[in-house]
Amino acid sequence: MPRKVMTMIPIEMFLILSAALFCIGLVGVLVKTNGIVILMCIELMLNAANINFIAFAAYLGDALGQVFVLMAIAVAAAEVGIGIAILLNVYKAKKTTDVDDLTILRW
Amino acid sequence: MEYAWLIPVAPLLAFVIVGFFGNKTKEGGGAIALGSVLIAFVLSILVSYEYFVTSGLFDSGEAYAPAPFQWLVFGDYALNFGIYIDSLTCVMLLFSSFISLMIFLYSIGYMKGEGARKRRYYAEIALFLGAMLGLILSSNYLEMFIFWELMGVCSYLLIGFWSYKHPEGDAASEAAASAAKKAFLVTRLGDVCMMAGLFVLLFAFKSLDFTTLFDPAEIANVDSGMIILGSLLLFGGVIGKSAQFPLQDWLPDAMAGPTTVSALIHAATMVKAGVYLVARSYPLFIQSADVMLVVAVIGGVTAFIAATMALNNMSLKRVLAYSTVSQLGLMIMALGAGGYVIAMTAGDYHASLGYTAGVFHMMNHAFFKALLFMCAGSVIHAVASEDLRQMGGLSRKMRITSATMFIGALSIAGFPFFSGFWSKDLVFESVMNPYASGLPAGDIFLFLFALALITAFMTAFYMFRMWYMTFKGKPKEAAEHCHGESPKTMTVPLIILSLFAVGSGFLLFVGLNDIITFSVIGGEFMVGGNGKTAEYLFWHVLENKWTYVSLALSLSGIFLAYLMYSRRIINPARFNMGGRSGLYRFLTARYYFPQLYDQISLKLGYGVAKGVDYVDKNLIDGTVDGISNAISGSSDTMRKMQTGNVRNYAAIVIIGTMVLVAVLFILVRFGGV
Repeated sequence: MPRKVMTMIPIEMFLILSAALFCIGLVGVLVKTNGIVILMCIELMLNAANINFIAFAAYLGDALGQVFVLMAIAVAAAEVGIGIAILLNVYKAKKTTDVDDLTILRW
Repeated sequence: MEYAWLIPVAPLLAFVIVGFFGNKTKEGGGAIALGSVLIAFVLSILVSYEYFVTSGLFDSGEAYAPAPFQWLVFGDYALNFGIYIDSLTCVMLLFSSFISLMIFLYSIGYMKGEGARKRRYYAEIALFLGAMLGLILSSNYLEMFIFWELMGVCSYLLIGFWSYKHPEGDAASEAAASAAKKAFLVTRLGDVCMMAGLFVLLFAFKSLDFTTLFDPAEIANVDSGMIILGSLLLFGGVIGKSAQFPLQDWLPDAMAGPTTVSALIHAATMVKAGVYLVARSYPLFIQSADVMLVVAVIGGVTAFIAATMALNNMSLKRVLAYSTVSQLGLMIMALGAGGYVIAMTAGDYHASLGYTAGVFHMMNHAFFKALLFMCAGSVIHAVASEDLRQMGGLSRKMRITSATMFIGALSIAGFPFFSGFWSKDLVFESVMNPYASGLPAGDIFLFLFALALITAFMTAFYMFRMWYMTFKGKPKEAAEHCHGESPKTMTVPLIILSLFAVGSGFLLFVGLNDIITFSVIGGEFMVGGNGKTAEYLFWHVLENKWTYVSLALSLSGIFLAYLMYSRRIINPARFNMGGRSGLYRFLTARYYFPQLYDQISLKLGYGVAKGVDYVDKNLIDGTVDGISNAISGSSDTMRKMQTGNVRNYAAIVIIGTMVLVAVLFILVRFGGV
């Protein structure tokens, strides 16, 4: 049953929210040096994208966006699992999670 | 005759078998090598018999040349592998395999003390002989060239046989190594010429098959300049292989190998291949009188120079080596003089006996030179020295060797009715012929004839000087250790060969004259003495006044040697002033040819090498290095981008994405995409 358009929050609000969230995550990735914080910031960016998906899905009345989000959450969970496992091992070996100190994978 | 290809295959197979399994058999594979040469000899007899008697090809003057196996075909050209049998092939096959049989038999006694290295020796001489027989049977120049090169390799290996452990010590083994290198490199100079000649002929005739090249119709179609150039270049190969002036110097050094190898090189294979090439290429060579003149002059000069160098040499083997060079010169000179007459008389193939003389002398020389070398080997085996000054008085201890060597020396000196007498006088007569018939270059041939006469005198002198110094007089230090005659395997070949050294000359009168001819398919081309009867030749030699002149010179040479080195009535030291005379040193230094080679190779060769090296280092290496430097340099710079810092990468990704989005936005907004 179609909802009343009047009661809906305008889509721009969602887009602004998600853009803000994305920028916070982006700045976090670029500025922070702690690996765990960077992972968290990446999650923020992912969730910003998720909000976009949900917003458009609701706005357009199409469930496909929601399916994508579920998919993205599952993938992100796996990614975080691996990321944290890597960081844990790096910490064991190097006693640090500071990415500025972890530069041996280069020439 | 269809199985003639088996003749070279037998020794080549022996090479493989001995090479791999020689040490598991008795005598390091000697028996296998001997067996293979026996097979080759028997097959040669059968093939010759079939060619001369049963096939009827000889009577019609044709060559047996079955359709060859096509090896490579490209465009109009085809390179083939086949066999070509005519009377020249048969004569060569017979004497090469027979003499090799004697040498292999002799080797079993001579190489007894070599231990495990005998395997290498027997494998290599089998390969050597196989290559020679293959060369004789070849049906085209390329096939011939392959075997020709194979012989070059074998001579290198065999001359350097003692290169890491010489019975006479380290200096001798170094000399052996450098002699092997010299033989290989000097003959290589000739081989390059020959290869160039092959290219010229292939270009001119579109084929290298003898059946095409010797066909008068084909020759008439080809530019004569190309034939002259091709012939001269082929003759360059002969100069290298047969040790002619100015590349004669490798052969004396090649004495560093075992004496049996010298015998093989000098009598049966290697140097004979060069003379054979001239004889085989006669149809091409006689197209120009000038080419034949060059051939004759080179031969005459070589004969003279080499004989002078033998006069005062103190090494038993080197005297023989110089005499080989000298005799090869005589053969080449006879072939050249005969060809000159044929060329000048516009293809009257019966005008001269030069061809017969050259090939006949080659055959006789093979017998007496193999004999002389094997006698020398027997002496060296017994006294462990090559220095003539340390010998003397050996005739009492080594009766068979001294008697057989005496026969060999008489034969080479041209003593009447020995084999060398007949062929040498035929050679002289054929050299005299152009002058006697008043041809344009007659004066040059008169000069060559004079050189040949002096050579005959010197030959007789130095052979008997050698013989007297070795076998007569008081025994010197080396002769004291002589422990008697050599074993039977060595003396039996000597006796057999000495019979040939006496008698092979008479073969001329029982039909050999007709046999030494050259045939091509169709029988239109024949050179040699055909048409001349045995009586004619016999009296021809005996009635010729020059025969008596050369005979008198030979005898006086022998007599002079007898006076100087046996009776010691004339003291040899009077001539060389105790080794200080200029001429003596000039001859000992071999006309300074080794120095000339060294200078040329140093100045020219080293200069060229430096130039090539410069191009290689700067141009070629420079290009390669430049490219690799550019790549590694740029990657050195570029890799600095890889900081390893995660945040940098992230920043770059983000900036890049932003730029892309901005571009996309501009395109969509303003470009109307």
